[in-house]
Amino acid sequence: MAQLTLDEVTKTFQDDDGEIVAVDQVSVDIEDGEFLCVVGPSGCGKSTTLRMIAGLEDITRGEIRLDGQIINDQPPARRNVAMVFQSYALYPHMTVRENMAFGLEESTDMPDDEINERVEKACKDMDIFELIDRKPGELSGGQQQRVALGRAIVRDPEVFLMDEPLANLDAKLKAEMRTELQELQQDLDVTTVYVTHDQTEAMTMSDRIAILNDGVLQQCATPLECYHEPNNLFVAGFIGEPSMNFFPTTLEGSTLKGEWFEYELSDETVAQVEGTTDITLGIRPEDIEFVQSDTGSNVFDSTVHVVEPRGNENTAHLQFNESMDDQFIATVGGMKQLKAGQRVKVRFPENAIHLFDTNSGQAIRNRTLDEIETVESVV
Amino acid sequence: MSIRDGDFIDELRSTENSRIGLYVLLLAGIVFYLFPVETAVMTMFKTESAFARTLPFAPPGADGFTLEALSTAWNTLRPGLLNSLLMAIPATIMSALLGSLTAYGLTTISWRGQVGVVVLIIAGIFIPYQAVLVPLAQFWFQVFPGLVEGFVNTLFGFITGGSWQYPSRNGYVQLLQLSVTHAAYGIPICTLLFRSYYQSISEEMIEAARLDGASAFSIYRNIILPLSLPMFAVTLIYQFTQVYNDLLFALVLINEPASQVATQRLAALTGGVIQSFNTTMAGAIVAALPTLLVYIVFGEQFAKGVAGE
Repeated sequence: MAQLTLDEVTKTFQDDDGEIVAVDQVSVDIEDGEFLCVVGPSGCGKSTTLRMIAGLEDITRGEIRLDGQIINDQPPARRNVAMVFQSYALYPHMTVRENMAFGLEESTDMPDDEINERVEKACKDMDIFELIDRKPGELSGGQQQRVALGRAIVRDPEVFLMDEPLANLDAKLKAEMRTELQELQQDLDVTTVYVTHDQTEAMTMSDRIAILNDGVLQQCATPLECYHEPNNLFVAGFIGEPSMNFFPTTLEGSTLKGEWFEYELSDETVAQVEGTTDITLGIRPEDIEFVQSDTGSNVFDSTVHVVEPRGNENTAHLQFNESMDDQFIATVGGMKQLKAGQRVKVRFPENAIHLFDTNSGQAIRNRTLDEIETVESVV
Repeated sequence: MSIRDGDFIDELRSTENSRIGLYVLLLAGIVFYLFPVETAVMTMFKTESAFARTLPFAPPGADGFTLEALSTAWNTLRPGLLNSLLMAIPATIMSALLGSLTAYGLTTISWRGQVGVVVLIIAGIFIPYQAVLVPLAQFWFQVFPGLVEGFVNTLFGFITGGSWQYPSRNGYVQLLQLSVTHAAYGIPICTLLFRSYYQSISEEMIEAARLDGASAFSIYRNIILPLSLPMFAVTLIYQFTQVYNDLLFALVLINEPASQVATQRLAALTGGVIQSFNTTMAGAIVAALPTLLVYIVFGEQFAKGVAGE
């Protein structure tokens, strides 16, 4: 049972050129039992944040509280957190059993038989019981990953910290482990902070996502909020695969003038964007509609450049003009045939577009959403 | 097709040729290294006259065979061998252990001023033996006894009444002094060897251990130490050979005949006016036995350590 709070946490490093800010006043409240993913590109400060929670890095300014208690100055061992590293960091000279028992031996005065019992139970839970007397060198990557997780579970910590734990696995195993990790976290109901650069992992696993860029927290919200209501250009571009399309435009009257098209805004939207002239129009690939005729507003001609079939859908790279630098992406159903070189008409529906202030990057208007539908349970 | 077959056979032949070349080279190497040893072994079993009339590397023959040289060498060296082992084994273990601990403190634990200490330790490797001989002798024969005496007199003055004297001429005390000197002198190079090895150990693993609640010493004891066994083999072999083969410090620090080490005895054995090659060779072989043994015992671990596995 633990609530973890980051309060304006800042980390600076000294360099020859002065101070480098790695993490800049990050504040997040992580609820008890919540699964929080911290995502961002490499070097955004996400691992540093995690290491500060673990106690492996000093905190320059700000506070980290666990259940209201400030833990800034507590050594890692006293914080009752368990961490899973990207490299697994298993002890190569110890067996799986010894690897998992080590933490309990060092941090508790639990009797040996109880330690052994807990280790064996964790091994059974993680489905690695038959490997218990092997050494890490004799295990595959996936098995080592399980041991690393088991080593964290057996400690029964207040908080799980995971630093890109799936990064070294192949795609299929990664997908399997993702589901398994989620199940595990739900079963154990332990507060978890999970660092990854992979937005798919963040979207699929977490209760909430915290997106960092250059050490600054961009948004902390549920996966769906981050996807449909991004705070700014960075979040909009980072979340979603393929990424959102962006077109720089200027507002003239009720028209957004881009390099290749003019987009007509409704009065309602014009009222929302009032006062900003440099506007970036964003639209997600799946919201672009292919239409047959010019009926309706905001329909543009374009050429199909490349098609990537994915089975369930086709990803089409489109161009307004034959020049290479204006490509944008649209996805259509897998059974819809498109050919490279084909001329098509595309429509950007107004309820699906996002508008950002080009200069500040802040979102001015996000798409409008239909009511969320729930799948009815069958009795 | 036939041309291709020909190519293949040519290739096979050329790899065969290069293999033969390799073996010839290896054989030449073996001969080059072992020839002097063989000569020494042959010589030590020869009588003086057999040595004069046969080639150095030829076997002695039935009439020229004798064990006298070997037994003379053995009897002269035996007490020295024992003293050498008494002095070299603790010195070697101490340098390796202290070097490993120092290296651990200078790599996996971070603290202010580390770099300065590393620089000092590396500088320590380059202090020549000759430069410290006089201060070393002064220290062990005057300063240290003075310190001990002062310490004892201050603490137990009323008990001893000033009658107790530090036994600086006691043979075992001198061996101990020599041992401590070698241990101290070996720390820098051992530290350097262990340091480069510890720098290759995964930092995340050490962090995992810290999160597991292990103290700095527990991390050393449970993780670093077991992982550095190959490196211990390297330092043990290297340091033992260094210490065991040293004559200079022994000459300065040991003046009791009873506590002379093997190298001193060997010098005495060969240093006579009349050269008798058979006893000299026998002495050299006997004196080399312990180092040979160390290489055989730790050889495999040594190879692992050098290969950095």
